[in-house]
Amino acid sequence: MLRNNRNNEHPEKGLFYSKTIRFLSIIIILIILATLPLYASSYVIFVTAIALLYAMVVAGYDVLLGYTGQLSFCQGAFYGIGAYLSAILTVKYGWSFWQALPISVLFVGLVSVIIGYPALRLRGAYFAVTTFYLAHFVYLILLNEVAITGGPLGFRGIRPPEPIGPISFESIESGYILILFSFIIVYFLLRKFVNSNVGIILKSIAQDDILAESIGINAAVYKLLAFVVSAIIAGYAGVLFAHFFRLLHPTTFSWFLSEMVVIITLVGGAGTLIGPVLGAGIVIFILEFLRFAPEVRYVGWAIALIAVLMFEPKGLIGLIRRMRRG
Amino acid sequence: MLKVTGLTKSFGKLIAVNDLSFTVNEGERVAIIGPNGAGKTTTLNLITGHLKPDKGVVEFYAKNITGLKPYKICRAGIGRTFQIVRAFPDFTVFEHVLVGAISRYGLRAPTDLLKRQVEDVLEKLGLNAKKNTLVRNLTIVDKKRVELATALALKPKLLLLDELMAGLNPAEVDEHVELLRRINEEDGITLIIVEHVMRAVMKLCNRIIVMHYGKKIAEGTPAEIATNKAVIEAYLGEGVPYA
Amino acid sequence: MDRDGRKGAGRSMIDPLVLTQLFNGLILGLIYGLMAIGLTMIWSVTDLPDFSQGGIYIISAYTAYWAITLLKVPYFLALPIGALVGILLSVAFERIIYNRLRPSGVLSCLLAAIALFFLLENIANALWTPKAKIMSVPETEITLNVFGIVTSYHRIIILAISVSLFLFIHFFIKYTKIGMAMRAVAEDREVAELMGIDTSKIYIFTWALGGALTSISAILISPLYAVWPGMGTLPLLKALVVVILGGFGSIIGALIGGLILGLVETFGAVYVSAAYQHGFAFIILLLVLSLRPRGLFGKR
Repeated sequence: MLRNNRNNEHPEKGLFYSKTIRFLSIIIILIILATLPLYASSYVIFVTAIALLYAMVVAGYDVLLGYTGQLSFCQGAFYGIGAYLSAILTVKYGWSFWQALPISVLFVGLVSVIIGYPALRLRGAYFAVTTFYLAHFVYLILLNEVAITGGPLGFRGIRPPEPIGPISFESIESGYILILFSFIIVYFLLRKFVNSNVGIILKSIAQDDILAESIGINAAVYKLLAFVVSAIIAGYAGVLFAHFFRLLHPTTFSWFLSEMVVIITLVGGAGTLIGPVLGAGIVIFILEFLRFAPEVRYVGWAIALIAVLMFEPKGLIGLIRRMRRG
Repeated sequence: MLKVTGLTKSFGKLIAVNDLSFTVNEGERVAIIGPNGAGKTTTLNLITGHLKPDKGVVEFYAKNITGLKPYKICRAGIGRTFQIVRAFPDFTVFEHVLVGAISRYGLRAPTDLLKRQVEDVLEKLGLNAKKNTLVRNLTIVDKKRVELATALALKPKLLLLDELMAGLNPAEVDEHVELLRRINEEDGITLIIVEHVMRAVMKLCNRIIVMHYGKKIAEGTPAEIATNKAVIEAYLGEGVPYA
Repeated sequence: MDRDGRKGAGRSMIDPLVLTQLFNGLILGLIYGLMAIGLTMIWSVTDLPDFSQGGIYIISAYTAYWAITLLKVPYFLALPIGALVGILLSVAFERIIYNRLRPSGVLSCLLAAIALFFLLENIANALWTPKAKIMSVPETEITLNVFGIVTSYHRIIILAISVSLFLFIHFFIKYTKIGMAMRAVAEDREVAELMGIDTSKIYIFTWALGGALTSISAILISPLYAVWPGMGTLPLLKALVVVILGGFGSIIGALIGGLILGLVETFGAVYVSAAYQHGFAFIILLLVLSLRPRGLFGKR
């Protein structure tokens, strides 16, 4: 792929400049993550799994926000639809996880096309408001259709994925490995996606969609593509969540979740893919770490967020890049 | 190749373009001139689909392209630049022109083909030295060049240029005139330029269309236009055209 | 309710229950309208759909709650106190945050506004716990019977305050110097500056006005529902829908849009579905955006 050298802005040798170091750090992190079940407590594994799920959703969302410039607030809705649909199919209709998974993801994709097609024709703020309300509407459905979703009483009894051959997914450790594996594959695919020619076109739309149209790019189609991609990934993460956590409650999928996704993506550094992922990891861990002071953690986190916006609008990645330049 | 018939566009009570008709043939270098507010940019916007006409037809190679979406018109072979320069600020010059190449040759085009196309265009416009510079760090003149380069990467058959020469000193104007002449003669790209800089128009174009208050008031060779009474009157508030 | 029932003095043929709901719907609509007016002013003058107003809504409500329950302040005084809080917060945000972020573009400001909303919501959560608090105000206890409508003194207060505020703002925007300056900046900031208007002062003023309106609507509605940290999300959403329905930048549009939404929600909750009553605004949003995107009175 045609990636050309952008380091024409005084590339001094900071900590992460060398490609070898970057490669090595990734390998080290991967090894740590992969071997986690061997030495970490169930609790740590659990939190890491949640962090990985967030990382997946956020990476998918970055394609929409960071690379295509569309501010949307309904990732939580897609996450929720994926989770609940898979739960319903497996618990109420006896499907196997491996059948419910692709169908749920496809369904989320379908919903995102139906919504995205008209919605994406709206200009920025109107689109944002529409997705904002959509997320809330989905939440209302999850809350009120008690017969289907269990409503405020929650949806229990979700089984872990059926074993493939000798590999069982009963334990937290094995569920975690499945999630880790999914994350790695999804991230890898997303990387290829954004580095491809399609990625460049998305970036052009983010910067000036009218100009992109004048250059012969059908911006509407690409915006829809980004929207659907991010929705499908959120849906997939939702399915994994349902079968890992095994209990669903509508409040998990309120607007707050979508808000968090947007904020993590921004703080991590929209448009870089790795930034939001790191952001997700850091945020989830800090939040867990402060769980003994439940109210304070969100306030502190919100303050940090505003500080980031004001002093380093490019987010965490901007900070790291500055470190990289020495 | 381009036929505009009865084009009309109003914004509320203001009639910006009034029953405009003209033809442009392959290989020509046509200028549209006129005092400010004559409707020149609006005309371009109507051709490229950025505005929908109230009445009238735009035909390109006998196909009706009136009111089509801008990206379709671009794909049909009409490129343009904008009066207030538009560019992707966070791309490097190379990436910027690359978008044009990808749009033209498709997503699956082989990398070296794309690379060659971009480098050819950059070479032609003298932007090679700056190919890794971010567009936001360029001067306006260079930004215009990048805009032009991207339009050229699309291999258009017809190129609409909106006040490309604005803000250039006479030497730069002559450079650009030469550049445009080469593009027209060597690459066979038909040009329609909207201009205020008469030096460029007189040197470059073989036909001039003059607009005033949305109507065409004169059409002819540069020599004819320079002595046309109606044109001189229209410009009286702005000064004599041939400068 | 028997079909023969002509309750009351038999003066009107309309079912008084329906009349009451109509009245309630209008009252609710007035509150939505107030907040929407603030929002549409801020949005049209400063180009920012100010999500942080949702957070300001929450904090003012809690301030009033605190003033009424702890300091035993009468309801009438709680209104200006809360409004003051709203003004201070809005202006502070503009001066400290939005002002700095403006050069980076509208998106940065929008994100900051969202972050501020998030912050305020969580501060409320931290300071006052997630449990809902009831703002008990004696005015809600006093019931009246007006033309067969059973209502409370409090609702009449809402009516009086909203209508007077609306009239005040309407004439203010139309006839005062500042009002005209605001309209000029809303149309074209650069041109307004060239004409000698101090846009930063206008921004501060607009934000103060918007913040005051948001706070007042929050305090007006609090005795009817509850005060809880998440109370800001829905009003913000609905105010945004009303702004779009009424037309971007139109004050009368915000009022009428608010009334429409209030009525639709009230009647919808009774006759269609109480569970999805908050979904009607969404349907209105979709209808407006697909059929008449510029809203009822919008210019664009």
